[in-house]
Amino acid sequence: MAVNLDLISGVLSFLFTILILSYLIGDNPLFRIAVYVFVGAASGYVASVIFWQVLKPRLFDTLISAVLRGSLVEQVLIFLPLIGAALVILKIFPGMTGFARLSMAFLVGAGAAVTLGGALLGTLLPQVQATINIFDPQAAAARNIGAMEVLGNGMVILVGTVTSLAYFHFGAQPKTDGSVRRFGLIEIIAWIGRIFIGITLGAVFAGVYAAALTALIERFSSLVNFIVLLRTTLGF
Amino acid sequence: MRVFTAVIAIAIGILVLLGYFLPQAELIQTILLNWAVILVGVAALVGLVNLLVVHTDKVRRGEKGSIYSALLVLVMAITFFAGAVLRPEHAAMQVVLNGIILPVEAALMGLLTVSLLYAAIRLLRRRADVMGIVFILTAAVLFFGSVTLPFGEIPIIGTLVRPWVSQVLALGGARGILIGVALGTLATGLRVLFGMDPSVWG
Repeated sequence: MAVNLDLISGVLSFLFTILILSYLIGDNPLFRIAVYVFVGAASGYVASVIFWQVLKPRLFDTLISAVLRGSLVEQVLIFLPLIGAALVILKIFPGMTGFARLSMAFLVGAGAAVTLGGALLGTLLPQVQATINIFDPQAAAARNIGAMEVLGNGMVILVGTVTSLAYFHFGAQPKTDGSVRRFGLIEIIAWIGRIFIGITLGAVFAGVYAAALTALIERFSSLVNFIVLLRTTLGF
Repeated sequence: MRVFTAVIAIAIGILVLLGYFLPQAELIQTILLNWAVILVGVAALVGLVNLLVVHTDKVRRGEKGSIYSALLVLVMAITFFAGAVLRPEHAAMQVVLNGIILPVEAALMGLLTVSLLYAAIRLLRRRADVMGIVFILTAAVLFFGSVTLPFGEIPIIGTLVRPWVSQVLALGGARGILIGVALGTLATGLRVLFGMDPSVWG
């Protein structure tokens, strides 16, 4: 049974790779079939994952357990999200979308707070701390890096960070000739920041391109491997 | 209704936010985030139902390309019911994952190779300014500096220039961008939490 499923998986993988790569000769019905099947399969799979890994353990199992042997507080705590879920489902019916706003307000509030906490504790403070730590001589000595190298590289990173931030400063005042320009010093700093941002985006582009190329090579390799396996299995 | 939804959002936001800074508020934060996960799950299912309804309507009206919509609806229904009965980790569901979803994702990612190359050439043609040239030059240096050629790494570029560009120059810009994004997120989040962004309340 397992072998058969592996074979089916291999055949489907081979077929869908060919269908998707057919886009290289232009948009065509085979490519569209593959994309629509992919969207259907992925959304059906995601729906089943949501049911089994989110709703069942967090809502249905907790609800049954609270109803059967939970205290009054536990029952209230599980009925509130149940009501919220029912309100979200009302969004499907055109005349009752207004009720879903209550649940959406809950999600907006929770989402905004999580995003705020993440931005502050997960990005802003660690990035500022990391920029400070570049100049830490003890950490550099532990990594066998000379003091001058640390100072030089640290200064470049600091200049890159500050000038890149300055690039996003769009405060400007109108001139006498009617044109609107940034303050001269900010304009110079922003120009240097532009260079740093160009370098960063170039690095990101190179990374994404390398990943895409790896994926393409892996797909071609899987096609070749499947043909070789098929030849070996069928003996031709 | 608008005031009521704003009050709910602000109250929930402040309670969740307090959980990051006050240990006493952690329990309430965990409960609220658990509810939020449930609501997000249900909202995602509602979104998928909407996708199903849109494509079913296309099939019913016999619009152009409705054959593709019919295929989508059919595959979605089969996959969902199989997953709901068998569970996603069942071997048959792994066939869907390893035979359709992952290969298509990888092949689409592979197609990016062509699209990105085309985009880079267009960038050089249309915007040959300092930023465009720096962008392409950096991408080329990092890309050719990291590939393994038959004769090994390209001297100097692979051993000195690439590490310095990626670990020093690019890091400075990346840190600036990240801090900028975090500051923007903070400002937007605070506007939402203090009810200063009426567009959010719909």
